[in-house]
Amino acid sequence: MDSRERNWLFFLIGVFLVFNVVTLTPVVPWQEWLFWTDPTPAHRFSIEYQDYEIRLPPEGIEVQVGEYVEFVAVSADVTYGFGVFRPDSTMVFQMQVLPGRDNSIVWKFDTPGTYDVRSTEYSGPRHSEMYVQNAIHVTQ
Amino acid sequence: MIQLGRTEKWTLRFAVVALLFLALSGFEGMLMRTQLYAPEALGGMESVLNTLRPGAADPTSTELYYSMLTAHPIVGVYGFIYMAVFGAFYFLVPYLLDKPIKYKKLVPVNFWLQIVGVMICWGAGFFGMFNALYTLYWPLPVTYDRVPLLGSITFMIGAAIIMVNILIFSYNLFSTVLSKSNPRSYNFFQFLRSAYGIPRLMKLFGKEDKNAPNLDYNGLPVFIVAVGRGSVDTVINAFVLLTAGALILVYGLFALFGSALNPDWVDALLYKNWYWWGLDMVADGNALIYTAGVWYLLIPLLTGRRLFGANVVKTVIMVDLLVSMAVWSHHLLGDTSQPMVMRLLSGQFITWGEFFTMGLTIFASMMTVWLARPVKMTPALKFALGSMFGFMMGGVAGLIQANLGLNMVFHNTQWVVALHAHTFLLTGVGMMLFSVLYALVPMLTKLEFRSKALINTHFWLWIVGSVGMAYAMGMAGSRGMLRRTFYEGGQFQGYTLVAIIGGVLISIGFLAFLVNLVGTLGLRNVLALFVPERWLAGRQPAPAQA
Repeated sequence: MDSRERNWLFFLIGVFLVFNVVTLTPVVPWQEWLFWTDPTPAHRFSIEYQDYEIRLPPEGIEVQVGEYVEFVAVSADVTYGFGVFRPDSTMVFQMQVLPGRDNSIVWKFDTPGTYDVRSTEYSGPRHSEMYVQNAIHVTQ
Repeated sequence: MIQLGRTEKWTLRFAVVALLFLALSGFEGMLMRTQLYAPEALGGMESVLNTLRPGAADPTSTELYYSMLTAHPIVGVYGFIYMAVFGAFYFLVPYLLDKPIKYKKLVPVNFWLQIVGVMICWGAGFFGMFNALYTLYWPLPVTYDRVPLLGSITFMIGAAIIMVNILIFSYNLFSTVLSKSNPRSYNFFQFLRSAYGIPRLMKLFGKEDKNAPNLDYNGLPVFIVAVGRGSVDTVINAFVLLTAGALILVYGLFALFGSALNPDWVDALLYKNWYWWGLDMVADGNALIYTAGVWYLLIPLLTGRRLFGANVVKTVIMVDLLVSMAVWSHHLLGDTSQPMVMRLLSGQFITWGEFFTMGLTIFASMMTVWLARPVKMTPALKFALGSMFGFMMGGVAGLIQANLGLNMVFHNTQWVVALHAHTFLLTGVGMMLFSVLYALVPMLTKLEFRSKALINTHFWLWIVGSVGMAYAMGMAGSRGMLRRTFYEGGQFQGYTLVAIIGGVLISIGFLAFLVNLVGTLGLRNVLALFVPERWLAGRQPAPAQA
């Protein structure tokens, strides 16, 4: 191997290591609880999907800043998505909701406010309607 | 009239139809962007088109959007890219091996079957309103209160024709490489053995298998090795998608005859793994290896210098094939039911294998150009360099989204489809195919492209338009704009408008290319590719009177 190729390969290895190490650490905040620790959630919220509807718990979703909560989504028909969005439309997190599976994710909100829930996976022509405003209330 | 041989003629036919499919796919893309900007903007056109649709169907704008979104990638990938690849490989493989295509009669079969298959899929969307998207996530394609039954059956028939056709093409290509019409002949297992680089691996460990012909060292051009190895992915892709399509077709036929099958019999996660494993062979398999092969072929030809680091390049081709077999989980990073070890290893770490293989590929190509200075910046070289830029940009975007942590906010957003997929396809693969056309047309016809100004117009408008469009939509994705979602409230309009402007630039650039191509070949010669020459001969202008 030519020395220039070798140097280039070392450079690529360096980029690979730095990028992967950094993004696996809590520099990406949610890696702390999604990858490194297995926190016990303070609340568990069940969400049901069926016939283009997102059925949230009837008592609503009230969360406190800094506490771990678990969202468990099940679908009775096709594949959907569970995405949580800020009022300015930016995404907080998401997961796919596959039928026949308990799809769950643990999250810790760091900012109080209200959040919207939207299906992030196409499920048929009425997919765009699957949008629940102010679905999650996060308090201090 | 230009006198062309049979192979040259078929290659140009494939190229012309590929360009028509590119135009159709691009037109659909522009329509969808327009709808995203102003949801009711196409109302008038839709009313007219509805008169062409059978029955009393009066689809909504949303249904039309998703039907178009289903047809658009099929036309773009299997219409434009595959047709162009068929045409280019049917010329280059025999040309480089100095032996004819093994089954010449299969060439027109491939040509027509691909057109028929793509048009059936397109028709299933346009007339049948099939809308399950190319992802076909189970059980949506068999959920007939959301997806039209006849549309689903029609689409699967079209998809099956395309996949069978790709298998026929691959068979013909392998048969040609392996045929015994000259000393460079190998049996299938010997070829496969070399395709996976086994002799090279053995050599690495100090052993030499003298009985196994090593294609690398027997003088087979690197391009052919890349085509052979990429075609392994092509075959797997076609086979897997064929099985998925057949499954959906069986469900459709049972439903049609009144005894619907239970969708729960198929596990959605298992299906998704199987489907993505096969589908990803295009995105992360043959597209990369074919592209690398084309660079390995064109760059030395255009610069007049031997490929830098040829031995490393051969190893890279082998490694890339292995990598392509194991990266599919990066499409399932949003599935929390997918085992974590799969998401981390297959989804993230192995995906980085492509960073190394493509990184070394681009380095070898760029070093070849650098060491060959001063080089003449021919149109083909210019577009080849543009395509490398596209792969770098799309590759970096891909590595960011194929990350366990970052995928949390990028999955299924416009980032994925724009900055990654469209940059790869339009800037990367698109410019690579234009590079091939700029190199091949003079080779086939002995005619040089007429207008340098139009070539430059094509180059700059294409690269600025495609990068601008991808960047705008990618930024929209980073702000939460989802792909596969029709925003009926007209959100993200600023980003969409910039993307539309990018699309307009691409279209003008493409038009410049077409004008130049037809101006170079002559309209009569282009028509002569498709209609009998005697028809045109009768319309030749009378010779001038003395």
